[in-house]
Amino acid sequence: MAVVSMRHLSLYGLKKDRKAILELLQRRGVVEITPCPIEDERYQSPDISSQRAVFDKCVHTMQGALAVLDREVPPNASMFSSLEGRKPITVEDYETFAKERDEIYRIAEQLNALDRQITECQADILKCRAQQETLVPWKELDVPLSTAGTANTAVLIGSLPQAYTSEQLLSILANQLPETDLSLEILRASPEQTCIFLLCLKEDMDHVQEALNELGFARPAVAGRQPAADMIRQLDERVKGCEMKVDAARKEIASYAGFRHALQFTIDHYLMRSEKYDMIGRLKQSGRLFILTGYLPERDAASLVREIDANFDAAIEVGAPPEGEEAPVLLKNNPFSSPVESVVDSFGLPAGRERDPTSIMSIFYYFLFGMMLSDAAYGLIMVVAITVMLLKFPRMERGMRQSLRMFRYCGVSTMLWGVLFGGYFGDAPKVIANTFFGANLGDDFTLALWFEPVKDPIRMLMFSFLIGIIHLFVGLGVKFVTDCRTGHVKDAIYDVLFWYLLVGGGIVYLLTVPMFLNMANLALEFPPIVGTIAAICAGVGALGIICTAGRESRSPVKRFLKGLYGLYNITGYLSDILSYSRLLALGLATGVIATVFNQMGSMLGGGVAGVILFVVVFLIGHTLNIGINLLGAYVHTNRLQFVEFFGKFYEGGGKAFAPFGTHTHYYKFKEDQ
Amino acid sequence: MGVVFALIGAALAALLAGIGSAIGVGQAGEAATGVVTEDPSKFSKVLILQLLPGTQGIYGLLIGFLVLTQIGILGGDANISAAKGLLYLAACLPMAFVGLWSAIRQGRVAVSSIHLVAKKPDQFGKSMLFPAMVETYAILALLISILSVFGIPALNI
Repeated sequence: MAVVSMRHLSLYGLKKDRKAILELLQRRGVVEITPCPIEDERYQSPDISSQRAVFDKCVHTMQGALAVLDREVPPNASMFSSLEGRKPITVEDYETFAKERDEIYRIAEQLNALDRQITECQADILKCRAQQETLVPWKELDVPLSTAGTANTAVLIGSLPQAYTSEQLLSILANQLPETDLSLEILRASPEQTCIFLLCLKEDMDHVQEALNELGFARPAVAGRQPAADMIRQLDERVKGCEMKVDAARKEIASYAGFRHALQFTIDHYLMRSEKYDMIGRLKQSGRLFILTGYLPERDAASLVREIDANFDAAIEVGAPPEGEEAPVLLKNNPFSSPVESVVDSFGLPAGRERDPTSIMSIFYYFLFGMMLSDAAYGLIMVVAITVMLLKFPRMERGMRQSLRMFRYCGVSTMLWGVLFGGYFGDAPKVIANTFFGANLGDDFTLALWFEPVKDPIRMLMFSFLIGIIHLFVGLGVKFVTDCRTGHVKDAIYDVLFWYLLVGGGIVYLLTVPMFLNMANLALEFPPIVGTIAAICAGVGALGIICTAGRESRSPVKRFLKGLYGLYNITGYLSDILSYSRLLALGLATGVIATVFNQMGSMLGGGVAGVILFVVVFLIGHTLNIGINLLGAYVHTNRLQFVEFFGKFYEGGGKAFAPFGTHTHYYKFKEDQ
Repeated sequence: MGVVFALIGAALAALLAGIGSAIGVGQAGEAATGVVTEDPSKFSKVLILQLLPGTQGIYGLLIGFLVLTQIGILGGDANISAAKGLLYLAACLPMAFVGLWSAIRQGRVAVSSIHLVAKKPDQFGKSMLFPAMVETYAILALLISILSVFGIPALNI
């Protein structure tokens, strides 16, 4: 129902018991160890960086190996595997796994090595392919690319950056070097390049080379002592060899698939040890002693102290949190409210002397969520689907389970509002009856227990505002209570009571104005005195706010101006209340979109084709509608809680309680106590 | 004649709000895919953020569809006066324009929120709130459009 009361723990133990005591604390998981504040030369924080580095390296190796294994042999995980939670592991299993740790580390290294081998081979294959690419134009050449010529002849092999035929090129060269004998072979010509083989006498070579250079002659990028075709063949063989190596490596990796659990377990093992060493780093120790400080919930204090006392020679002090230090925050609520703790957490945990807003918020949370979604069938689907999931995955992690529970309560509320507002897949019952059973239900037909917002939106709008005013006033009320409890009675009156008077009086006064009643479709009649009283209340409130809102300032002028500015906050209240119109808008959106889909589905009328179309459109449409509006309702419920509600009384900013325990990824260690 | 104006209104609501949402969701989607390339486990979180600017398009569809049913385009009597048609047109405008603009701006906030989640996944609750702030105005516009559309048939012009 509130913030769990925290105690501060100081433990002075013998160094020889350090390991055992830490293991006990880790197993119990109820103590958050804080860095020890004692400043004394005799007591030093142990240096743990080398051990940490070893563990980190192990975890890194294992995780790398596991990733390799998962890539080559994907684990057969179902769509819902994230719901399954960690597998429990017994102490015997722990022992057997633990014995094989060295072997598993070797396997992990082997897996990483195989992975490196695959990467290297693949890089090699790419390199070979690239080389082949450059060799292809020279395939027809049956002498090596590096051929320079014979005793009397010179050979020029290379490419020109244009397409030439043999005649064209010879005529160009003949123009420049009329005296020279040449033998030219065009190996390959394309618009981008022409590959040539040119033979000339050795003494002419310089001239020929010059003439060719003018045309943009370039030697081939690859040289080789063998003809290109041979080199291509050799590269092919090298690629084949690499591919075989890759295949072999893959097979070997696959053969280790049975060690997946062992790897996961070992990762967990090292994570646990690494967490323990983190904690050791927070201790202070001398030659024989160590000091540990931290926080633990009051309810666990007695039993933990007893357990440590019974097993170790240690001095323990449990007391109130030291002055000036914020104790970490742990919330404890009844099963109805605790699911929304995560929502409070995402805004910020209560800090300082703030009260836990969870329980009061949970009621409004479910209430508002239901109003926004407001469809009995959608609510039922939520409730059933979540119940099935919770039953099917009993080991689900706590966070996930709590979220699902929250949505289940939201689903119940959605169902109730759906019944009140007559939404069952929108207006599906009416459409089905009219289209397929020949009923002739008109506009007057309704399933609503109360009224249908679509038919009377103004009434729904007024109701939304009413809910908003209640929500805001409850928020202010919480502030009032908190202020009174902490002894700030004056603040409670200035910041809450005056606003109650102003806003409440203003609203009641508005209700006595005939024009407003007309607009709002309300049939209310108050005696004129009510209006007068309301106006006076509002006036008193306004006056009070002007006088007190600037009470921190000393100068009276400044105080008055600040007071006026405080009164300006009334616009904030106005926009806060108007903000609740989203209850109407989102409620209508669900209903109207559902109606749209129902209508689209019934377009073909009755008959077999009509039924098929209806079923298809119905399934797709309503799935979409649930998705969209669930998201909308969730986001906007959060918004109303965070901005409008919390804005009135709650700041948050507390630090979450993070006990030292076993924070593993894959396995949960079963306690046998 | 009235039905022409009314249809223009319905089309505008679906059109502009839809364009806005397409732009917004598109921008957010680009950012979201970037985050998922780095860390696939954030998929569901960034997907929710990406979807947030998509609601305007749905609101636009909603208003458009309401108008269509009321003016008899989807069967029924499509004979309404020019004045009523213009009223429908006017009723659609808040959703059309606010939908367009708010979805685009919301898309930009969603992009920043996605960046926030990429760096601090535990701040998801807050990151969702910033785009939702922009959406408030789309909801207010939706409200005015819905109330107007519901109110028009009863008018005697």
